[in-house]
Amino acid sequence: MSKLTTLQEAMGRVNDGDTVALGGNVLHRAPMAAAAELARQGRRGLHLVKTAGAMDVDLLCAAGAVASVTFGYIAYEPPYGLCQFFRRAVQEGRVEARENACYTVIMGLRAAVYGLPFLPVRGLDGSDLIAARGFKKVANPYGEGEFVAIPAIRPDVAILHVQEADELGNGRIGGPKYEDALMAKAARRVILTAERIVETARFEAEPDRTDIPGFLVEAVVHAPGGAAPGSCAGHYGIDDAQVRAFQAVTGPEELGRYLEQMAARTAHEGVSR
Amino acid sequence: MQYTIADQMVVCLARELRDGDTAFHGVASPIPAAAILLAQKAHGRAVTYVNIAGGVNASPRLAPSTDGPNMLDGTASLFGLTDIFDLSMRGGLSVAFLSGVQIDRRGRINSSVIGEFDRPKVRLPGGAGSAVIAPTCGRVLVWRGKHNTKALVEEVDFVSATGNIDVVVTPLCVFRRVDGELQLESIHATSSLAEVQENTGFPIPTREYPVTPPPTAEEMAWLERIDPDRARDQEL
Repeated sequence: MSKLTTLQEAMGRVNDGDTVALGGNVLHRAPMAAAAELARQGRRGLHLVKTAGAMDVDLLCAAGAVASVTFGYIAYEPPYGLCQFFRRAVQEGRVEARENACYTVIMGLRAAVYGLPFLPVRGLDGSDLIAARGFKKVANPYGEGEFVAIPAIRPDVAILHVQEADELGNGRIGGPKYEDALMAKAARRVILTAERIVETARFEAEPDRTDIPGFLVEAVVHAPGGAAPGSCAGHYGIDDAQVRAFQAVTGPEELGRYLEQMAARTAHEGVSR
Repeated sequence: MQYTIADQMVVCLARELRDGDTAFHGVASPIPAAAILLAQKAHGRAVTYVNIAGGVNASPRLAPSTDGPNMLDGTASLFGLTDIFDLSMRGGLSVAFLSGVQIDRRGRINSSVIGEFDRPKVRLPGGAGSAVIAPTCGRVLVWRGKHNTKALVEEVDFVSATGNIDVVVTPLCVFRRVDGELQLESIHATSSLAEVQENTGFPIPTREYPVTPPPTAEEMAWLERIDPDRARDQEL
């Protein structure tokens, strides 16, 4: 049965207070159209999970949709600077910054993938993150040493933008894969947005190139331009003007207009909303 | 020889790489990316270059973003961030390039907060992978695009990462970590001891220091090919 749906309906499946893993990395292949739709729908209290995030996290913080962010790095790369909406929200106590190392986000997701409550990690020695985040240590039961135990991160939903998907939810990623496949396995539910919807036969012909198995996915949205104004490998690069336009937004009305313009651009490019 | 401060920093970092190294950089790292490529191409160093996007000995045309699709150009396999962290944990990563907003006298890095962790005066980007990379990889080469008393401090507000920091390269000079403390190793030809002292938050003893060898004509010619769009200047 087809899992194809509209962006609006798919994002309606995300509940206030959900833990949401976002695919991609910094300004690359992040699910921007999905994030904008969550903001537009007025979602609240989200707990975001991302190794290295930028405008996706910043936009949801700007919209007041976020309660906490579990992350290794939240900033743009040069020349765009810090994520000012995220920064201010944390400084004003509206968003909890659950800083990790990128690797401990990965290990938390892995613990969920393995069905374990935690995984021990090497590293973090001497870092104030251990105390600041309240990470506990476990002794090696077979020999010497203690290791920091990273609790499982089990997202309620992973939202991933991919280059190709079929109506069954199979997904193929072009270019850098980042942590998307890990997120898909760690999360209870997965929603894909895709540049192109292709025939299942295309996946059957090359199953070794399928990154996200369809049975893990509950909804698929055709969203060309769905990572814009970030990049999507093989399709488009970073839209400098639109990133800067977002960074210049002040106040909820301007943000609302920006979100409507984003939605109109993707709709114009064929998104079913 | 015309060169920018970014060129000098790239060259300093490239000269730190050795045959047999496996070297990694993460996001927002055009200077390290240029340094690794320069060590491979200009210095003929047998370095295995792994980047956050998954490239292995890739030959990207550099851009200010260092984790985009271009970072896979010329790679024959994908070895992404998770693989690189795992490699470092099992002792297989010999060099990592890390930066920080604050770097202190003991070579500790802060990219997390200014002020209290839970209610910071300034929330910084976060240390990315540095907290687990710094203690596990062989040598950490630190670079910082600004050198002032806010960046080079006596003691960091928060220790995001600490560990095997070997060298710190700034727009003014090169520090080497010796017996757990940063020591001034050389001053760039474009700076002076007085300028370094004035802009460093911990005492720098007054004595003679070597001048950092500037970029050579050959290095500059290679840099022009590696980074024709001068992404490396974006960091300063």
